[in-house]
Amino acid sequence: MILTGPEITHQYEAGRIIIEPFCADQVNPNSYNFRLGTALKVYTDEMLDVRRPNPVKELAIPEAGLVLEPDRIYLGSTVEIMGSDHYVPIIRARSGVARLGLFVHVTADLIDIGSINQWTLQLHAVQPVRVYPGLLIGQVTFWVPQGDVTLYAGKYQGTRGPQESQIHRDFLAPTGVVI
Amino acid sequence: MILTGPEIIHQHEAGRIALEPFCIEQVNPNSYNYRLGPVLRTHRGPVIDALGEHPVREITIPDEGVVLRPGQVYLGTTVERIGSDHYVPSLIGRSSLGRLGVYLQVSADLGNLGAVHRWTLEIVVCQAVRVYAGMIVGQVSFWIPSGDRLPYDGHFGRFSEAVTPYPDLLTAGRRPARRGARR
Repeated sequence: MILTGPEITHQYEAGRIIIEPFCADQVNPNSYNFRLGTALKVYTDEMLDVRRPNPVKELAIPEAGLVLEPDRIYLGSTVEIMGSDHYVPIIRARSGVARLGLFVHVTADLIDIGSINQWTLQLHAVQPVRVYPGLLIGQVTFWVPQGDVTLYAGKYQGTRGPQESQIHRDFLAPTGVVI
Repeated sequence: MILTGPEIIHQHEAGRIALEPFCIEQVNPNSYNYRLGPVLRTHRGPVIDALGEHPVREITIPDEGVVLRPGQVYLGTTVERIGSDHYVPSLIGRSSLGRLGVYLQVSADLGNLGAVHRWTLEIVVCQAVRVYAGMIVGQVSFWIPSGDRLPYDGHFGRFSEAVTPYPDLLTAGRRPARRGARR
């Protein structure tokens, strides 16, 4: 089951959903709109490798906007710190953004229960597109889980701003697995 | 409703979810991590005909990995056999791969009730990236359905290797007898 907008507001007021800052104007009939933060990161190597750290450089989106180019992944983040210990969040673009050919995640829409962060957005433009800080870029939905809850305690917990992939750590762990 | 990780374990133990092989360390708070199998297939030819034959080239990922390049789709498979007669699977990538610009499927995340197999992954990259066989690349979640069930009689759920649509599969109103169906 998916929460309606009024239920998201109710659960936010009850402290069971975290959205900071919360703005009633950003509540939709069954989701909440989130904003794009100012900071972006891009990888500096042409060739990426999952087994090693891939160096990044940080960009700031100026007020005049910044053009995202195709064939490159840009890491952004939500302005809002979001998450829940009680509901499973799923993120996606707003359709107004999708109509510009801009992906806001790369097949990673499902957030773990207990993951409370400024969420990293994986921005991928099909055509060049100019984006601006604070853009209402995506929306989050909240879903009712079934079963006992184990909260997220993974490597991206508590992060602020865009976070590059830490997958190389998988290859360091003796078990081969880091969640 | 979506199953939590502990509930996925419980339902796997009860035989109501197939995840084989199963590894407890691959359980997340509300999903299960799957691994990338060793074989990739790519389309040959400059234009893919939606109703035609699809000749493919096969790549076995060597120990040193393989570099995926933008501009084409790589068909991979999960190491695990995944499915359920009781819960609807949804299969996506991990955020650690998404952060490198690696798509694990192409807007086709929804599985069918009753299809139990090694799932085909549609891998697309934004930038060139080296990947390795056996690495954890994505996650599958399970959802509680409502309503009567139809038995699974689809095509792809009978295959455990990455296959393309046979000619005419995508034509409305035609549902040929199962051709070459095998697990």
